[in-house]
Amino acid sequence: MLTKLSLAGIKNRFKDYLVLLTGLIISAAVFYMFANLATNREFVKSNTQISMASQVFIFGMILLILITIVYIAYANSFLLSMRQHDYGLFMMLGAKKNRIGELVFIETLLIGVISTIVGIVLGIGMSMGLSQILFNQLGLTVHHFNALYWPAIVTTICLYVGLFLVSGLFNLAKLVRTPVLKLLHIDDEVSLPKRRPLVQLTEIVAGLLLLAIGYIAMAKIMTLQLLAVPLALVTITLGSYLLFSAVIVGAVELLKQTNFANKKLHNFTLAQIMFRVRSYTRILTIVSLLFALALGAISVGAGFQRQAPQMARSTSAYTMAINDMDKKERNLVTQLNDTHTLTYSQKIVGNTVYYNEQEFIDHPLPMLKSRQALNNGSLKTLSIAQFKKVALDDMDFTGLVPKIGQQKSEFATQRDFANLNTATTHTVTIIRLNNVLAQRKILDRLEKMQQQRFPAPAMATVGGFQTYKMFNALFSGLQFMGFFLGFAFLAMLASCLMFKILSGANKDVVRYNMLNRIGTRRALMKQAVRGEILTLFALPGVLGIVDVLFGLQMFKPLMYHPYEMTGWSILIFCILYGVYYGITTLIYERLVIPKEQMNG
Amino acid sequence: MQKTPVVSVSGLHKTYGRKNEQQYEALKGINFTIDEGEFVGIMGASGSGKTTLLNLLSTLDTPTSGSVEVNGQDITGFKGKALSDFRSEEIGFIFQDFNLLESLTAKENIALPLSLQGVKKVEISKAVKEVATTLSIENLLSKYPTELSGGQKQRVAAARAIVHRPAIIMGDEPTGALDSKSARDLLDLMTDINKNQHVSVLLVTHDPFSASFCDRILFIQDGQIGQELKKADNNRQTFYQEILNQLGTFEQ
Ligand SMILES: Nc1ncnc2c1ncn2[C@@H]1O[C@H](COP(=O)(O)OP(=O)(O)OP(=O)(O)O)[C@@H](O)[C@H]1O
Ligand SMILES: [Mg+2]
Repeated sequence: MLTKLSLAGIKNRFKDYLVLLTGLIISAAVFYMFANLATNREFVKSNTQISMASQVFIFGMILLILITIVYIAYANSFLLSMRQHDYGLFMMLGAKKNRIGELVFIETLLIGVISTIVGIVLGIGMSMGLSQILFNQLGLTVHHFNALYWPAIVTTICLYVGLFLVSGLFNLAKLVRTPVLKLLHIDDEVSLPKRRPLVQLTEIVAGLLLLAIGYIAMAKIMTLQLLAVPLALVTITLGSYLLFSAVIVGAVELLKQTNFANKKLHNFTLAQIMFRVRSYTRILTIVSLLFALALGAISVGAGFQRQAPQMARSTSAYTMAINDMDKKERNLVTQLNDTHTLTYSQKIVGNTVYYNEQEFIDHPLPMLKSRQALNNGSLKTLSIAQFKKVALDDMDFTGLVPKIGQQKSEFATQRDFANLNTATTHTVTIIRLNNVLAQRKILDRLEKMQQQRFPAPAMATVGGFQTYKMFNALFSGLQFMGFFLGFAFLAMLASCLMFKILSGANKDVVRYNMLNRIGTRRALMKQAVRGEILTLFALPGVLGIVDVLFGLQMFKPLMYHPYEMTGWSILIFCILYGVYYGITTLIYERLVIPKEQMNG
Repeated sequence: MQKTPVVSVSGLHKTYGRKNEQQYEALKGINFTIDEGEFVGIMGASGSGKTTLLNLLSTLDTPTSGSVEVNGQDITGFKGKALSDFRSEEIGFIFQDFNLLESLTAKENIALPLSLQGVKKVEISKAVKEVATTLSIENLLSKYPTELSGGQKQRVAAARAIVHRPAIIMGDEPTGALDSKSARDLLDLMTDINKNQHVSVLLVTHDPFSASFCDRILFIQDGQIGQELKKADNNRQTFYQEILNQLGTFEQ
């Protein structure tokens, strides 16, 4: 009987359960995606050149576990708040406490098991889809990656089911211990933060100090080595929490003193924020961390993605040299966009390859301005006299020979070149293009054709495309991890925010209904909703960006320009975030703002 | 002396349920007026249509047919801003429950209607202090609703209902959740507001004691006004007895 009643209760609040389950499922899916990389040692080893990588993943895992614990504790309190009134009522009607406790325990565990299983399935699906997209779009080659990876499944199940066991026991204990009357009126309870300026000031100072320590730790990764990561994690988490708690209470208190508070619904919005400040502080800290992790991971992924073409440009003056271009190859070359091509004749006498000097006078072969490691790939053209002096030592020039054994290169005047008595005249065509990444498929085919026609040791092929391929293979793992984790964290961030926001809807329905009755314009109520949700979005967003700006310091030893793509990733991220804000407010407005009239 | 009516209702019908669903006619043609400064009660058995009527009068719901005029304007056609503004300017509400926003202090709750109308901070403070003195709740102003007793909450709600000087105060069983002492205090208070500030009051109740505070009582039965009782020069006790008698006749 009791079970039936309890099930009926669930049916009545189906929407809330849906929110709860969706949130937990996404959290489990994301955790699985992360665990999939972190627990796969071979993957980590074979795809990063960094010795610390697997330890970094372990710290990441610890952080994600902490986030998950807070998330589940949060979800659990939401569940408990939904149910305690019902269960209090059952107890008042004479149900035994132990029986109720049993029911609560089973319900909690059941929700946990369902969301874990569905979450893992979703996680596998998302891993598959995302990795396919990344492999295809970015031309990544990654070894030892499996969307379905058993150790990750086991880890996820252990953590989630374990946490839900604990939550279930906690709920059981709580329901059995709390007096029935309190259970019935638990919704009415409020906890307002006390105003203590001195404490707030200390919180702000301590928060800023901790953040500073974290940021410095990340910048000094070369000296601190592995210690930098956990140090930064702990200090930044604590610092963010303290800062949010003090800043929100302080700002609301200040605003309440001003004339602003008395206008429209401002006082109401401020009160809403103040009322939820405790849970807000926790969620804002998590969201700012997730925001930073997602944005940081994507920035790093994008940085490494830029790095390979950049290296390609800085190692050679051209992208690819094609010997004796045939019809098929010519066809492919015409398909390339935005290219410069140059063609030179070659004659082979004995061991020597002769070039027509005049061709180099008419169409000089550009050379890299600098051969230093960090050059930006800009080119220069030399007079023929100078060119002849440097060219014979330059890889870009010596590599142009047809790949038939070892040869020397020499220049001949136009007349001498014409008089050279050889059976065939060879040609070499140089192509240079800007966007290697986008046209890599055609370039790949060209290279294969060349290798078939001129079987030579692989290293003999020259040009930037070679370098690109080499470095791309080297960075693929890092790019993949960056993008993969970036999107995973983004999903978690979205689910966290959505969950937090929707879980407050029940109480707000009553509040907005009351505002509607005393004649509040709909526009004002919408403004109030937007204002409140904006705080939830904007505050962690700002801190998250600051975190990333400092956090990228960690990648200075690994990357040429860790900040090169940051502007773009922040912009794109903010657009996504803005769209998500819009969607969330729309949903929330529909949920809590009543119609003006019952049947209107 | 002929008084102008604050509320005048004519031919009011309300049918619940859509056309092709099961329909229920809750109000079957209601006519009455409330004069300026009058204290009118509406009584009736459970399910007789009291809340339905109050919802129509306060624009929370729309009638199927008929008209409701408040201060001379027909309010049944109001939409959007006009609707909200009418509610926030002309009506003061006291509900049985869920009266106050628990996230705001008593003072902020009372100030809400004025904030909505864009009144200046200084004037809001002044107005709130004034009502608070009238209702003797000055010392409760900085408290949150959870720190108040049921009776105190209803007094704060009453303060919010009159702070913006509405044309009429409406209450749907405002004493329903109160013990008899607090109920009596609230009713005394409403009488006081009614007599001294000349605000009309419309009180929905099925409690004869509450009803005995009214000048006039409309009995609603099966969606129609069946009887009307006037206090006239009777004192409250006699009027109370009269109400009991009247209710007795319904039960037979
Ligand atoms: N939204 C609705 N849809 C359909 N029928 C309704 C609706 N609201 C009320 N009713 C019906 O209309 C009739 C009058 O309801 P109303 O709430 O006005 O009664 P009441 O006089 O306020 O009763 P009580 O004293 O119990 O509060 C009832 O029979 C009720 O079932
Ligand atoms: Mg009613």
